[in-house]
Amino acid sequence: MGTPLSTEERHSRFELRTLLETSRLLIESHDPDFVLNNLLLITMGKLLVPKGMIIIHKPGDEEYFVSKSKGRGWLQEDDIIEAEFEAHITEQGVIRGDEYAEVFDALGIERECTLFNLMTSNHHLGFLCLGPKGNKEELTSGEIEFIESLTIISSVAIANSRMFQELRYINRRLDRKVHDLNTLLELSKDFNLMVDRDEIARVFKFAMLGQMLIRTFFFALDIEGTKTIVSISGIKEEPDRDQLDKLFELDDVTHVSGEEGCHFLTDNDIDLVIGLRFQNEKIGVVGVGPRATKEGYGTEEVNFLQSLGNLALLTIQKTLLLEERLEKQRMEEELGLAKTIQEGLLPNPLPPITGFDVAATNVSSRQVGGDYFDILELPDKGHLLAIADVTGKGVPASLLMANLQSMLHALAPLDVSLEEATARINDIIHDNTPPDKFITFFWGKIDPHGYTFKYVNAGHNPPMLFRAGKEEPELLDEGGVILGAMPTLMPYTSSEVDFKSGDLLVFFTDGVTEAMNPEQTEEYEEHRLIDCINKNRDLTSEEIMNAVIDDINQFSNNIQYDDITMIVVKAS
Amino acid sequence: MKNFSIARRQIDNISVLDVTGELDAHTASQLENSLKALIDEESYRIVVNCSRLEYIASAGLGVFMAYIEDVRSLGGDIKLTNMNDRVYNVFDLLGFPTLYDILDDETEAVKGF
Repeated sequence: MGTPLSTEERHSRFELRTLLETSRLLIESHDPDFVLNNLLLITMGKLLVPKGMIIIHKPGDEEYFVSKSKGRGWLQEDDIIEAEFEAHITEQGVIRGDEYAEVFDALGIERECTLFNLMTSNHHLGFLCLGPKGNKEELTSGEIEFIESLTIISSVAIANSRMFQELRYINRRLDRKVHDLNTLLELSKDFNLMVDRDEIARVFKFAMLGQMLIRTFFFALDIEGTKTIVSISGIKEEPDRDQLDKLFELDDVTHVSGEEGCHFLTDNDIDLVIGLRFQNEKIGVVGVGPRATKEGYGTEEVNFLQSLGNLALLTIQKTLLLEERLEKQRMEEELGLAKTIQEGLLPNPLPPITGFDVAATNVSSRQVGGDYFDILELPDKGHLLAIADVTGKGVPASLLMANLQSMLHALAPLDVSLEEATARINDIIHDNTPPDKFITFFWGKIDPHGYTFKYVNAGHNPPMLFRAGKEEPELLDEGGVILGAMPTLMPYTSSEVDFKSGDLLVFFTDGVTEAMNPEQTEEYEEHRLIDCINKNRDLTSEEIMNAVIDDINQFSNNIQYDDITMIVVKAS
Repeated sequence: MKNFSIARRQIDNISVLDVTGELDAHTASQLENSLKALIDEESYRIVVNCSRLEYIASAGLGVFMAYIEDVRSLGGDIKLTNMNDRVYNVFDLLGFPTLYDILDDETEAVKGF
C-alpha cells in the first residue's frame, strides 16, 4: 500500500481519467454529431452548467449555425447567427464576457457565458458556449483548463470525422463514376453484338432508367427525314409530328422550364432533353423525367446521358449502314445476273457469213450498258448486221437495249423492208420511253450472195466502208432521225453499197471515237480510228479490231468511260 | 446464350421470381417479359429473389424502374430480396434502396405484403 492520495490528487486523477476516456470515445467516432453532443453533455455535466450550445462556423457565409443547444431560453438548434470575427478572436482558446464583450453582443448571448474555441492548428470550427454555472460561481482555472483540453480533443475528432466523411463521400462518388464508366464500357461491348435497332433502343432505355433511377423516358430518331419515337417509358401519349419537330428544334441540352412551347414536355413531366448529333446533324433526341432520388441533372448526368446516347446512336447508325451494305450487295448480285442476261442477248458465237471475215466485240464500262450489236441469219440466207447505242448508262439503258433486241429479232424474219421496220421500231420506242431516251441505230442487210449491203442509219455514227486500195472510207449515213426522239413523220430512207474483195466495213459506237485521253482534254476521234485501221488493213478482222481497242486503251491510259462496241467485216 | 434464367413460384397470392445468373443488357428483356406477364395476369404482389443473381448491370435495374411504379399504382409492389453484396452495391450506388424495398430474406418480404 502506498501513501494515501490527497483529495486534490484524487481529483486531478479523476479528471485525467475522464479526459482520457472521453478523448478515446471522441477520437474513435467518425460521427461529428456524436462528438459534438458528447462534448456538450460532458462539459455541462462536469461543471453543472444548466445551458450550453455548440455553434459551428460556416466559412464563406460569415455566419454560425447552432449545431447543438441544451437548456432553456437559449438559441434553438439550426438557428443562424450572423457574425464573423477577426483572427485574434478565432485564434483565442477561451473567450470571456468581461474581456470580449463585443463578441458576446455580436453572437447575441449573455456576457456571463464562456466561449471555448473549437479549433485545430489552422482551422476555426466554431465555439462551445457554456452558460453560467447553476450556483453562479465563476469557473475555476482548473475547470477552464479541463474544458479547453476537451475542446481541443473534440476539435481534432471533428476535423478527423469531417475528413473521414469527405473521404467516404469522395469514395462513393468515385465508385459511382467507376460504375458509370463500366456501364458505358459494357454497353459499348453489348451494342457491338446487336444488329436489331429495336433491341438497341430498348437496352438504351433500360440502361438510362437504371442509371438515373427514372421511369419517364423517350428516345426519338430522325432516320432520313422521318422522325419517330424508337423507345419510350412512362409517357402518357406519344408526341405527334408537330411535337416531334419541336423536340428536334430544342437546344442540344435543354433543362425544361416550360417556356419551350412544347406541351409534350410539360404533359409528361420531362426535365431534360438532349440532342444527339451524327456528323453535326441532329438525328436523335433523348428526354428524361425526374429522378426518383429527387436529385437534379448536373453536368455529370448530362455528360453521361450524352455519352450513352451517342453510343446508342452510333450503334443504330451502324445497323443502318450494315443494311445499306447488304442492300448494295444484293443489288450488285442482281446486276451481275443482269450482265449475264445482257451478254446472252449478244450473238455468241457469231454466225459465219460465207465470203466474209467477221469480228465483233462489246466492252462495257459498267456491269450493264446500253450498247448493242447483232448479227443474224435471215430466212433467205442473207445476214442482218445491227449496231446501236442507247443514251445514258447502266440499268435503264440496258433495259432499253433489251427491248430493242427483242423488237429486232421479232421483225427480222418478217417480210418488211428495212425502212418500214425502222419506222415501226422508232414509233414503239417513242411511245414507250421517256422523251430523254434515244437510241442511235444502224442496221443493214448483206444479200444472200454477199454482193450488196442495204442499210438504214437512224442517227448512229456512220459506219466506215474502206474500199480496197483507198485510205479514206466512205461513210454510211443514209437513213433518218435517231430512234425515240419523235414519231416517224418522215419515212426512213435506205441506201445500198456493193462489196468487192478486200473491202472493209467497220461499225462502231461513240465509245470508240469519244474515248478521252487521261487529261480529259482530247477525244480519240475518227481520224485516229481511220489511221489505226489503215495501218492494220492487211490483218484479219479480229486483229484489226484488237489493234483498234489496244490503240484506244493506250490513248485513254486504260480509263474507259463509255461502252465500246465494234463490228469489223472484211470481204474476202 | 448468356447464363441467365428466371423461375416462378407462387406463395399464396404472392408471385416469387427466382433470378439466376447475370442480368445485363442482353438478358434484361427476359426479366421484362416475366414482369409484363405477371402484370398482365394481375399478379401485382411480386418478390424477386436474387439469391442466385450473380451480376446486375444498369440495364437490369432499369427494368425494375420501368415497372415498379406501375405495379405500385395498381396496389402491389416489387420487393427484392437475398442479394449478395456485389449486386446490392450496384443498387446502392444508384440510390435504389432508399426508394424501394430491398430485404435480406424472402419470408420477410412475403410477410410484408
